[in-house]
Amino acid sequence: MIANRRIRSWCLTLLVVSVLACAGVAMAHHSFAMFDTSTTVTLSGTVTEFQWTNPHAYIELDVPEANGVPKQHWSIELGSPSILQQSGWKYKDLKFGDKVTATLNPLRSKQPGGLLVQVKLPDGRVLGNGPGRGPAAPAPAPAK
Amino acid sequence: MTRLSKPLRTFVFGIALVFCCAMAVSLAAQTPLAKPPDLSGAWGPYGAAARGGDPKLAPVPASPIVVKPEYVKAYEAVRAADAEATRRGEPLASASSACLPSGMPAMMSVAVYPMEVLQSASQVTIVAEAFMQVRRIFLDRPQVPIDEVPPGYFGRSVGHWEGDTLVVDTIGIKPTVQYQRVPHSDQMRITERFRLAAPDVLHDQITITDPVTLEKPITYTLAYRRLPKYEMVEFVCDNNREYADEKGAVQMRVRDK
Repeated sequence: MIANRRIRSWCLTLLVVSVLACAGVAMAHHSFAMFDTSTTVTLSGTVTEFQWTNPHAYIELDVPEANGVPKQHWSIELGSPSILQQSGWKYKDLKFGDKVTATLNPLRSKQPGGLLVQVKLPDGRVLGNGPGRGPAAPAPAPAK
Repeated sequence: MTRLSKPLRTFVFGIALVFCCAMAVSLAAQTPLAKPPDLSGAWGPYGAAARGGDPKLAPVPASPIVVKPEYVKAYEAVRAADAEATRRGEPLASASSACLPSGMPAMMSVAVYPMEVLQSASQVTIVAEAFMQVRRIFLDRPQVPIDEVPPGYFGRSVGHWEGDTLVVDTIGIKPTVQYQRVPHSDQMRITERFRLAAPDVLHDQITITDPVTLEKPITYTLAYRRLPKYEMVEFVCDNNREYADEKGAVQMRVRDK
């Protein structure tokens, strides 16, 4: 009887936990908990490489010395190309030598890397990191 | 020959009429339509992700997951370890962070990624964009015993039309290919009912049963919206920078130039 009651109690606990867990059935490539999404870092620098790859695209960025912070290289993770193209990105939007300003959620490990929030491109457009992250809609390209 | 009295004749006629109607309804439900609905094309998630969706057509969340008492402790420990690692900011590496396919049934609900349905009279093929997963649903042959299917990511699926609904039976999923970390045995069965809930809204009602690990079936409904102009893109994981550190936590490789 006691055993039965214990099992019932376990099942109930499990049921509650499971219902909560099932709120997010959709899966991403990985959890984003390694990034500190409660804080942002804004970096201005020069693109050394833009990787339009899966499972994620990356911006490699050289950030020059500023305000006593020495020159540093940052790796910035974006969504996958599929997600990015749904929010206005094209694979040639960035290239070697481009000057950009990027806002990102830094890695909790304190290594120089993070998850892109938004980036201002040389042509003035501001792009986010897929639907629901960054600007709600991509800004139109300036008239030439 | 004895003539039946009028009330009896009326009664017999009534019974015959009811029987005929029941047969007709039953046949209509079982006989494939002359032309089943066309599910071909690209589909994206419908609901919260697609703003402006009709709540009546939205996905139905999963029924409670109730595992058998002997699996409760281990399942709860796995879930707690996951939650704690995520809370610490050190999420545990997973199959998907290693770029392995999600497999069935998780591949049917991979975040914002579209899927493509290719339909013929004898087969329905579903291509999920994320990790380029492919499953084939055979419509022209019966299911085989579970023991004959080598466990894999997508299993063996057979289907048939029940009126406007495509009913699919899937068996043969690897124990490591899990839905929400729920343990399953080689006796797990996934039943799906695909149906157009509206001309451009597809529902997939998924039911997972497992007589070994589950106290009761898990049921949920996924909803998709038609993406008429969408072109599926490739998804080859040739630049996976995520790796598991010595604690099993997923980390991202940074570069120095």
